[in-house]
Amino acid sequence: MLIGKTDRVEFCGTMKYSVEINGAKRTVDIDGETPLLWVLRDTLDLKGTKFGCGAAQCGACTVHMNGHPIRACQTPIASVGDARITTIEAIGDSKVGKHVQEAWIELDVPQCGYCQAGQIMSATALLTRNPAPTDHDINVAMSGNVCRCATYTRIRAAIKHAAKAGSI
Amino acid sequence: MNRMVLLAAFLISLLMGGSAWAQTPPSPTARGEYLARAGDCVACHSTPGGKAFAGGLKMGTPLGAIYATNITPDIETGIGTYTEQEFDRAVRRGVAKDGRRLYPAMPYPSYAKLSDDDVQVLYEYFMRAVPPAHQVNQPSEIPTLLKPRWPMAVWNAVFVGGGNGFTSDPQHDAAWNRGAYLVEGPGHCGACHTARGIAYEEKALDRSSLAFLAGANLDGWYAPSLRQNRATGLGGWSKEDIVAFLKTGHNKHGSAYGSMRDVINNSTPYLTDEDLNDIAVYLTSLPATVEEKAPVYDDATATALAEGSSDPGAAVYAGQCQSCHKETGGAAPPFLPALAGNPTVLDRDASSLINIVLNGSAPLMAKGAPSPYRMPQYRAQLSNQQVAEVVSFIRSGWGNNAPRVSAGDVATLRKSTDPASDQPVILRMR
Repeated sequence: MLIGKTDRVEFCGTMKYSVEINGAKRTVDIDGETPLLWVLRDTLDLKGTKFGCGAAQCGACTVHMNGHPIRACQTPIASVGDARITTIEAIGDSKVGKHVQEAWIELDVPQCGYCQAGQIMSATALLTRNPAPTDHDINVAMSGNVCRCATYTRIRAAIKHAAKAGSI
Repeated sequence: MNRMVLLAAFLISLLMGGSAWAQTPPSPTARGEYLARAGDCVACHSTPGGKAFAGGLKMGTPLGAIYATNITPDIETGIGTYTEQEFDRAVRRGVAKDGRRLYPAMPYPSYAKLSDDDVQVLYEYFMRAVPPAHQVNQPSEIPTLLKPRWPMAVWNAVFVGGGNGFTSDPQHDAAWNRGAYLVEGPGHCGACHTARGIAYEEKALDRSSLAFLAGANLDGWYAPSLRQNRATGLGGWSKEDIVAFLKTGHNKHGSAYGSMRDVINNSTPYLTDEDLNDIAVYLTSLPATVEEKAPVYDDATATALAEGSSDPGAAVYAGQCQSCHKETGGAAPPFLPALAGNPTVLDRDASSLINIVLNGSAPLMAKGAPSPYRMPQYRAQLSNQQVAEVVSFIRSGWGNNAPRVSAGDVATLRKSTDPASDQPVILRMR
């Protein structure tokens, strides 16, 4: 290869990875450095999780790994191992996730909707860990999810609504 | 029968040494290109997107900014008229064709160790294989009064000495000596990893001093120690870890950042496995400067993060860092660096850690393949106080025991690395 500041792209080999997505084992044959988001959307056709920035700056691609919110765009498939991955497609299967979805519908939270899958994933993780969050708790937990339409006040109200529904 | 045995032996030798039989020895220009890779000449002698080796990169010196020169074989603007002797004098002794002394931004104190043979093949490569690029050198911004170059002769006499070549050490094997040659000579690792003295000289140019490769601060980054310090150096890295790092820019202990990115993008991944192994053999032989305790992982931080902590740094971490670096501080190595036990996190000098939080990381392109994982920048999102809190949290979490940083430390780096300022940080000479 000629020496220069910009070089051409070479591809590495692929490998089989078996990962648990929404309770089902899925096997993909792919380069281990591939981000989980690419595997979800392009390989497994789970397009509910959105690509926003590709740099863990916006939260649109948030999914759960063993219940914790993670950014799928910055998660190499090789690092998933036997962790449980949950995406927006299956969030309604959990009690808390269902309350969040219902609150979102009741309060008409989304505007354009692009970031909302990620918002719901972060909100569900928060309420699972902390069933009665304060405004401060909500600010901290949701600070990695940005919304271009600025639906933040409705998001906060919906989280409180879901918390109330969960406590009944 | 005899002939059958001979034929069998011949066939076996073909199988065993097939590659050696099939390959002709590399040409001088190919060997020169390999050496230009090892020396990473292109990193300083070109600008991003510019022609390779055409120069133009701005560098700060204590006297004012200078620009890397055109080292393509262009007759008018490059080194097309250099004889081999003149080329040698520039590379190993820091004197240009016209007798002008080069500033030691050109690492000739290290290149003085190059073998005659290597200088010759390097010359062959630059003269015969590098395409000439017509690009006029930019004059330095050093004030006229300070422009005369004769003081450099004194500097050389004091700090470089006679420019002694590399002497191999019979106490060590061939692999160690090859590694020492690559690190001290063409690789010029000390240009960044060895601290500089009052006259901007590297405090040591070889393994005879404990200051050699003991870590140094430059351009708002801290180039970590490459010695065997257990916490802040390479004491916890195996030879395989070092080879993996030089090949890909990542390993289970950390990822490349700052100017090491130039090394990964243009240099070390192109070296042979033998050479990388020899570098690792040599580096792992450099004794620690101080005895340090190896970091011991403590999962109390992970528990505190899971249960919610009142530490303001933990709150920033939970909101901004945890989704990638995890509550365990373990992240996803080798692609995303762990924070627990990472030498860059543990160093007394927190510049690299603060810098990477403020400004993120630029893409690593080992052999042209871009890494999809990149640290985002938090310059706009986090205040100096918040950065100080989260960096202090990281430096004391999971068993890490590095000192706290202050909002003032962050403010200084925020200012000196501000891309929008009228005085953007420029690379210092290296």
